[in-house]
Amino acid sequence: MSDHPDHHGHDVPARPAPASLAGPERRLDGRAKVTGSAKYAADRHIPGELVARFLASPLPHARIVDIDVTRASAVRGVLAVLTGRDIGPVRMGRRLQDWPVLALDRVRFVGEHVVAVAAETAATAEEAVGLIRVDYEALDPILDVEQALADGAPVLHPEAAGYVYLGGTRPSVPHPNVQGHRLVTKGEGDIDSIFASAARVFEHTFNIPPLPAGYLEPHATIVWIDEDDLIHIVTPNKAPFNLRAQMSQALGIAADRIVVEVPYIGGDFGGKGLTIDEYACVFLARQTGRPVRAVMSAADDMATMNPRHSATIALRTAVNSDGRFVAHDARILLDGGAYAAAKPLPHLTLAGAINTLPAYAVPNVRIEVTVAYTNNPPAGHVRSPGEVQALFAGESHVDEIARALGRDPLEFRLLNAVREGDSGIDGSRFREPRAVEILETIRRESRWDEPRPPGVGRGVALAVRHIGGGKTGLRVRCSPAGQIRVVTGAPDQGGGVATVIRRVMAASLGIDEASVEVVHGSTAEAPFDMGVGGSRATHLASRAAERAAQQLIEALEERIEPRVAQHVDFESGTFVGERGRRLSFGEAAALALSGEIELTATYEAAVHDDDEPGDFNFSGYGIAVEVDRETGVVRVRDAVLVADVGTVINPVAHRGQLLGGFAFGIGAALTEELVRADGQVVSANLGEMKLPTAEDVPPLRIVEIPTAVGPGAFGAKMAGELTNTAVAPAIANAVRDAVGVRVTSLPIKPETVLRGLIEAATERERVPTA
Amino acid sequence: MTESLTFRVNGASRTVETEPWTPVLEVLRERLGLTGTKEGCAVGVCGLCSVTVDGELLSACLVPVAAVAGCDITTVEGLADQERLSTMQDQFIAHGGFQCGICTPGQLIAATALLDENPRPSEDDIRDWLGGNLCRCTGYQQIVDSVSAAAASRAGDVAA
Repeated sequence: MSDHPDHHGHDVPARPAPASLAGPERRLDGRAKVTGSAKYAADRHIPGELVARFLASPLPHARIVDIDVTRASAVRGVLAVLTGRDIGPVRMGRRLQDWPVLALDRVRFVGEHVVAVAAETAATAEEAVGLIRVDYEALDPILDVEQALADGAPVLHPEAAGYVYLGGTRPSVPHPNVQGHRLVTKGEGDIDSIFASAARVFEHTFNIPPLPAGYLEPHATIVWIDEDDLIHIVTPNKAPFNLRAQMSQALGIAADRIVVEVPYIGGDFGGKGLTIDEYACVFLARQTGRPVRAVMSAADDMATMNPRHSATIALRTAVNSDGRFVAHDARILLDGGAYAAAKPLPHLTLAGAINTLPAYAVPNVRIEVTVAYTNNPPAGHVRSPGEVQALFAGESHVDEIARALGRDPLEFRLLNAVREGDSGIDGSRFREPRAVEILETIRRESRWDEPRPPGVGRGVALAVRHIGGGKTGLRVRCSPAGQIRVVTGAPDQGGGVATVIRRVMAASLGIDEASVEVVHGSTAEAPFDMGVGGSRATHLASRAAERAAQQLIEALEERIEPRVAQHVDFESGTFVGERGRRLSFGEAAALALSGEIELTATYEAAVHDDDEPGDFNFSGYGIAVEVDRETGVVRVRDAVLVADVGTVINPVAHRGQLLGGFAFGIGAALTEELVRADGQVVSANLGEMKLPTAEDVPPLRIVEIPTAVGPGAFGAKMAGELTNTAVAPAIANAVRDAVGVRVTSLPIKPETVLRGLIEAATERERVPTA
Repeated sequence: MTESLTFRVNGASRTVETEPWTPVLEVLRERLGLTGTKEGCAVGVCGLCSVTVDGELLSACLVPVAAVAGCDITTVEGLADQERLSTMQDQFIAHGGFQCGICTPGQLIAATALLDENPRPSEDDIRDWLGGNLCRCTGYQQIVDSVSAAAASRAGDVAA
């Protein structure tokens, strides 16, 4: 095997899926998780550990005039009290390191950590925090993007030029309060003149508020420094190698002096991509010489950690006289909050934010994405980041255009959907686009063409999402008994990546799954992994497992005498000898090995190249709702998901991802809200945020369209970020269909729908119909 | 002000010297090392810390330890019989009733308590009963499927 990266795995064509993958998997993490023995960060204790607590800013924007820690430091049992002045300008971030570990001279959001305390007990630490006095000079907060980008707006980060940007040079920004900016264009012509000469032009604006990821495990960390001066970090961060690199840069410590260990992660959905208390705990551990533990309260976590970027999305689309899209112009303003630290991509925007019309053929495109600094809590990644916002806007916009043209919304989508040879919104090409098949299946499965009962409406929404690339590796040991032990650096956030590795290795070697053990290793034990997220885990891990199996076979082949194994049948993982005698992998291992074989398999793939068709999952929903005209309450009566899923490796977990994504979408569409007042989050828990309960999630019918073109082993694709994005626009379109009300913001609350109904009724009274 | 309090956890008698208002959750996790019961919201909303006390389903974050003196507490660690998983645990694995697993101990305790009260619940009964146990991963369908399968399996056991 070469070290050359496989772009989409072209050099390794997908093999047909073995029969062993058809049956339900028995998850490797199942037993630990149902018996309570599975350890999460907050379950771990290190002897001698201290408890950290933080004093947080009560103001969204203020200058720190003075901090008095005298009384706090004097409390018996307090071992360290640190301020920004004590630790200096140490800043955190995945790409741009702009978030101070402890505020320096200025606070930029409510909840920003100002002072860190380490004490023998939580009660002592809390008592000490209560005795700290901070003198703030309040500054005018910037709480929305328009205000941030106005001429002469106060600059929130005057020291930005000095911030570390990992992996190159930070792209220039058009305004000092801009975190990231991206302009995507497509087409030869002058887009303004195309708009000027188009048959029809439609404009709509949408607002999508912030929302936390809603994981149930608050952030938690334990940090200690061992006798060799190695820094140990226990964290629910989903990308341990990236955290190590970020901490190495921020703290000026060689990466191999930091060991990051990720126990089971109690829910991620993007929100565990940036973790923060690890940094302060390093300073507290150094100061005290003791392990330090910091467990965030759920309320603090919700108020400060990585909510979805709120967005204002203005869309303008030109349509020709046939009803085809000829040009699309999108202006997407995202509220990045006080720090850009949670965004890992080079342009410091959200990749999915350009996906306003991702599944349609649009010849001319201009999309501008701007992320602004404000004094709201720093925004982060939440399941399909950017795409949730863009697709709600885009798929609502498409629906309104169809209606304005007197076209059926599904027919109108079919007319404009991408087909073989069409390029996507940013010019990239699709391998096997499935938009038409998805729409036709929704039409059939949702009985689209049948009449609706009164008060019932049907909505459709179409989505497409790329399959992520990146890099991972597996460390593999094989015993003479054919027992295989695999160490992966990809953490477990619930997706089942360890079981993916096990099943692909077992299938590739023709052995029983029980012969393959997969464990999650720390950064000191496992080869590099890019982290579980970005719809990459199954793609990368399955390919690495397939490659590891092949390397194992090759290693055995070298050790077996030619008469025993004249060649290897890689399809079945068997060794073929004289007179066609076959040896299984286990028999070959027993014959060839006196000791263990140890090897490392790595796999790397680009996300996609501009000159090659990329791998995408197409999907869509047909949803029927009933709207109560007296209360505005929206009830889902029927929901069908149609998805192009690729080869499925873990059937039970895969279905769980599709169902879980739907429920995630239902919450975002109908109930979930993060209420803020003057920069202060006032939703204190997941109940107040209105996370759906078992009673709130309607049934879902799933129709999978089989394919085998995915980039993962045997043609696997992704599932985690496939099914949450199109729920809200499908419901909004169904509400429009049912009662004529277009909802342009989320969630689709009864009061919003009712207001629309009342306004429409008032309008009808005022304007007598001709 | 500490008191010596005695109660049973998963069948074993335990005595702790503690302030009587300490939440049961803290006693289980920090004093007895039973970390299977998780802390989430700490205000009785999320269901992560569900335990049963004398058969009654409660949020351990809300109950002061003095209130359980002399009582029988069951946590997730008490569901399996040595190495043998309970039917409910087994069905959660078979049907994908967990993903990240952080809510799973609470779901299992709540679901087990449901079958003790109503051995053949309908899907609506299950959804209603589990309304106090949030899950962000599964969308609940596979949890409901797991509980239904456990109920069917237990009914089969009795019949056989």
